[in-house]
Amino acid sequence: MKGLSVLLQKEWREHIRNYKVLWIPIVFIVFGILEPVTNHFLPEIMKSVGNLPEGADFTWPEFKGEEIFVSLLGQYQLIGVLVIILAFMGTISGERKNGTATLLYVRPVSFRYYFLSKWIVVNGIVLGSVWLGFMAAWYYIDALYNHVNALPVLGFIATYSIWLIFVVTVVLALSAWLPTGGAAGLAILVTLVYQVIDSLIGAYWSVSPWKLSMYASYWFNPDSELSDLWMSLCLTVILIAILVLFGIFMSRRNAAKTTV
Amino acid sequence: MTTLLQASDLTRKYGDSIAVDAVSFELEEHTATALIGPNGAGKTTTLSMLAGLVSPSQGAIRFSDNEKKDIRSIIGFLPQYPKFFPWLSALEFTEMAARLSGVDTRQAIRDAKNTLEFVGLGDAMNKKTGTFSGGMKQRLGLAQAIVHKPKLLLLDEPVSALDPVGRRQVMDLLKELQQETTILYSTHILNDAEEMTDQLLFLRQGKLVEQGSLNEVRARYAEPRIIIEFESLQELQRFTKATEWKVTSKGLIASIDVQTEGVDISSILSVLCTGLFMVRKVERQTASLEEIFMKVAVI
Repeated sequence: MKGLSVLLQKEWREHIRNYKVLWIPIVFIVFGILEPVTNHFLPEIMKSVGNLPEGADFTWPEFKGEEIFVSLLGQYQLIGVLVIILAFMGTISGERKNGTATLLYVRPVSFRYYFLSKWIVVNGIVLGSVWLGFMAAWYYIDALYNHVNALPVLGFIATYSIWLIFVVTVVLALSAWLPTGGAAGLAILVTLVYQVIDSLIGAYWSVSPWKLSMYASYWFNPDSELSDLWMSLCLTVILIAILVLFGIFMSRRNAAKTTV
Repeated sequence: MTTLLQASDLTRKYGDSIAVDAVSFELEEHTATALIGPNGAGKTTTLSMLAGLVSPSQGAIRFSDNEKKDIRSIIGFLPQYPKFFPWLSALEFTEMAARLSGVDTRQAIRDAKNTLEFVGLGDAMNKKTGTFSGGMKQRLGLAQAIVHKPKLLLLDEPVSALDPVGRRQVMDLLKELQQETTILYSTHILNDAEEMTDQLLFLRQGKLVEQGSLNEVRARYAEPRIIIEFESLQELQRFTKATEWKVTSKGLIASIDVQTEGVDISSILSVLCTGLFMVRKVERQTASLEEIFMKVAVI
């Protein structure tokens, strides 16, 4: 465990000093604020800059707070996931390529701790950022729309957090396996492109990690049947565990490819 | 002497090519061994296998220290071009290296400071490694390799990136370390190998082609010559006419190959005395390590 705590400290220091601890939360918080604010003021914005013809009257839909949460999740699904991939795609492959991993691999440190230290810190940053983003959105939703109860919000964010842990694990496992470019490409394919495929032909199955973002919104509807959500959560957790083991295995196997 | 490490039939293949081919050697405790060979001879791969970075395709590495679970805790490794996390200071990096090698946190801080002072980075220990020059990086590389007091120090070209002053300083540090640890280092700078070595390992195309102490290797490749410096050119010419040996001359200096001509220094001195030749100097010369290297590298 001693090796793990040293590596956790190293990872934490790295992300503080390269400012990822700062700019990633800022990105998520900005989106968390913009989504409720722009939707609320959209009619006024369009009226003043939309170049609508004189006398034209457009009826804007009345959003509920819960819908804003779901709409924000849609933003996070594209831009947020892309930020995660781009920020962390070289976490392991980068250290291998630039040779900084050499002086870690020659120490009596297990590859399990090496991978887990990165996994824990990256997940901490990502989940912290997303939670802060949703909290910021919640504040503005409460102020500009309606009050949304805590329990469904927490269920919603927790479900989405499991999906994000899955995304982080995919990115890190691919970074352990492939060079940075390959890891980024495949991570985009697995998380973003497959999501589109799942939404197009996924009607044939109901249990899938890629459906978690959709199932998360079920928490806002008391009549929703949650069995598919729970099954998908279980499957995602199992996949996360398998990917962590794969990442540890690939970190060890590719250690010999480190630039010496 | 106690054997610290025994490498037997060490082989590393990359696809069809063999980087290291059935190399066997032993390292005695508190000795310095120089790993010499031309580029691509397999020096770095050999060191990487010993450091645990690369697994041997074949063969075994046995350490006498069997009590240790993870042998990497008694090894210190300095790569040819050490790379550090640029956002860490030298002290933070060295302390991390010590802690990862099993040293307690408080002790690690103390050891890191002392080691950085030892390698001459006392004033720069709180600077970020990203701002370090090549020489400073090499010293920091040495610091992280020795901070946990390893039994075996593996150094890949430890001084090749340094200027003459830095080279001298690092070589002096290594000589000090030799009292406490066993050193295996690769080098291209043969003067350094001559200066600090108990054993030479010559690698060529992955194979260990020569092995032994400096004197043993010299004896094998010696081709000793006797060099005579005459007072004048006339004396030299008189000497060449007076003997049947094949004499190579350059300026006032005559050189006789001892092995080819089957002579020794006493028979030459006898001729010189009998003929009353006017000489300035008579000396026996052996091949330098550089000459041996050239021979071993091209055989």
